[in-house]
Amino acid sequence: MTTMLKAEGLTKQFVLHNQNSVTLPVFAEVSFSVDQGEAVILHGQSGVGKSTLLRILYGNYRPTKGHVHVRHGDAFIDIVTATPRRVLEARRKSIGFVSQFLRVIPRVKAIDIVKDPMLARGVADDEATRRASDMLARLNLPERLWNLAPSTFSGGEQQRVNIARSFVDPSPILLLDEPTASLDAANRDVVVDLIAEARQNGSAIIGIFHDEAVRDRVATRRLDLTAYKAAA
Amino acid sequence: MLNSSIDHLKDPEPILIANKVTKHYGERIGCEDVSFSLWPGEVLGIVGESGSGKSTLLRCLAGIDRPTSGEILFRHNDKPISLFDIPEPTRRKLMRTEWGIVHQNPRDGLRMDVSAGGNVGERLMDRGDRHYGKIRASALDWLTRVEISEDRIDDRPRQFSGGMQQRLQIARVLVPEPRLVFMDEPTGGLDVSVQARLLDLLRVLVRDLGIAAVIVTHDLAVARLLTDRLMVMKGGYVVEEGLTDQVLDDPHHAYTQLLTSAVLAA
Ligand SMILES: Nc1ncnc2c1ncn2[C@@H]1O[C@H](COP(=O)(O)OP(=O)(O)OP(=O)(O)O)[C@@H](O)[C@H]1O
Ligand SMILES: Nc1ncnc2c1ncn2[C@@H]1O[C@H](COP(=O)(O)OP(=O)(O)OP(=O)(O)O)[C@@H](O)[C@H]1O
Ligand SMILES: [Mg+2]
Ligand SMILES: [Mg+2]
Repeated sequence: MTTMLKAEGLTKQFVLHNQNSVTLPVFAEVSFSVDQGEAVILHGQSGVGKSTLLRILYGNYRPTKGHVHVRHGDAFIDIVTATPRRVLEARRKSIGFVSQFLRVIPRVKAIDIVKDPMLARGVADDEATRRASDMLARLNLPERLWNLAPSTFSGGEQQRVNIARSFVDPSPILLLDEPTASLDAANRDVVVDLIAEARQNGSAIIGIFHDEAVRDRVATRRLDLTAYKAAA
Repeated sequence: MLNSSIDHLKDPEPILIANKVTKHYGERIGCEDVSFSLWPGEVLGIVGESGSGKSTLLRCLAGIDRPTSGEILFRHNDKPISLFDIPEPTRRKLMRTEWGIVHQNPRDGLRMDVSAGGNVGERLMDRGDRHYGKIRASALDWLTRVEISEDRIDDRPRQFSGGMQQRLQIARVLVPEPRLVFMDEPTGGLDVSVQARLLDLLRVLVRDLGIAAVIVTHDLAVARLLTDRLMVMKGGYVVEEGLTDQVLDDPHHAYTQLLTSAVLAA
C-alpha cells in the first residue's frame, strides 16, 4: 500500500509562560502511519489530545518532539521541519483540515469560498463553479445563500459551506475534527458518504468523531491515544 | 526511508533577504539583528507592541532609512543587490518602479493637490507610459478595482473620506505592478466596516498579482487574514516567528502568549 502520512515519536507539551510557566504534558511518543484508502479514527476521552495531534499533523501546532512525514506527490515533506512556504505548499496540494467551524473571510461569497481551493490548484473557473454548485446542493444549502457571505449564516449552514469547500476536491490526506458535530441526520449522512467516496478515491483520512454511529460507518482502523498519555 | 527527499521541488530565489539588520538611534535600540528571507508571492506580517521596532525595521527594508549595521538584499534582474551599497538615485528608481510603500497615513503616500486619476496615472508615467488615453483608461480601471466610482476621478484626495483616501493610496501603489509592497498599519485609524472592505481588497490583489508583501500591524486578526508568515517583535528583537496560524494558535514565547491571550479569537 502507498503510505500517505507517517508520524514518528510525536510528543507534545504546552508551556504556559504566563501561568507560572506550568508545563502541561499531553502525549508522548505517538507513532503511526496511514495508507491510501484508510480512515483512522482517533480515540480517547476529552482532553486526551486528539485535536492537538490532528493540528500537529497539519503543522498548526508544533510538537515538542517528533516528525510528520506527509506525502507530497512522490516525495515526503516533514511538516515539523519544513520551511513555512513548503508547509503552505503541502496544504495547498496534499493535506487538508476540516473542523466544524468555518473561518469566515469578510465579504467573500459562500460559492467563492468553496471554489477557492480548486482555483488555487488550477481548476478552470467554470468547472469550479459547476462542481461547487453541485456540492452545495448536495449538502442542502439553499441556493439563495450561495451568493452571500456566510458571516450571517447559522452555525450549521457555515459548517456545510466548510465541508463543501473541503470535499469538493478532497486532498490526498484529509484531517477531520468533528466535521459532523451539530449537523442534522440527513446532512450527517451526506458527510459520511463524502468521506467514503474520498477514501475510495484514494484519500487517506484521519478523523475525530464523537458520534459512535458515525465512527462505525467511517472507520477502517482506530487509534486510542489513552495509551500515549504523558505522565503529569 | 522516508527521509524527506524533496530536492526535485525547486525553489525560486528569495526576492528580499534581510541579514542581521540593526538600527540604533543613539543609545536606543530601534531594531536588532533581524534576519529573514521573503519569496515571491509571500506575505510576511510583523506584529508587536508599540515601540517594538516594527516601523523602524520596515523603513530599513523599504530603503527609506539606512540600518546601523547589517544588509538588505533585493533581487533585481536575477541577482541580489545590496540596497544601501548602491547609489542613492539607483535606489530611488528601484523604490519607484519595483516596490511600493503603503503608509499608515494616506496623506504621506498621496499627492493631495493632484486629482485621484492623476495620483494613479502619474505612477504609470513614472514607468514610462506616455499615451494619455491608455493612462486614463488604466487609472479608471484601478479606481474601479479599489471601488472608487468613475465620477470621482477628477476629485482631489482631500475631498475623500479616510477610507477612500487609503484605497486610493493602495491603487497608486499597486498600479505599476510592483514586485514587493511594504505596508505600515494599512488599516489603522479606519472604522471596522471600512477595514473589512480594505482587507478583502488587499487579500485579493496580493493573491491575484502574486506580489510579495511585508505588512506591519498591531491587529492579530488582520495578520491572520492577510499574512502567510509572522514575526513577533519586542524591544527591537524578533522573539518568535513561523507560519501565521502556528504562531497565533501555538505560541511558544511568553510575550506571544500574552499577545494572543489578550485578544479573543484572532
Ligand atoms: N493552544 C493550546 N495551548 C495550551 N494548551 C492547549 C492548547 N490546545 C490544547 N491544549 C490542551 O491540551 C490538552 C488536549 O486538548 P485537545 O483539544 O487536544 O483534547 P481533545 O482530545 O481533542 O478533547 P475533546 O474531545 O474535548 O475535543 C488539553 O488539556 C488542552 O487544554
Ligand atoms: N527617529 C527616531 N529617533 C529616535 N528614536 C526613534 C526614532 N524612531 C523610532 N525611535 C524609537 O525606536 C523604537 C522603535 O520605534 P518604532 O517606531 O519602530 O516602533 P513601532 O513598533 O513601529 O511602534 P508603533 O506600533 O507604536 O508604531 C522606539 O523606542 C522609538 O521611540
Ligand atoms: Mg478535540
Ligand atoms: Mg510604527
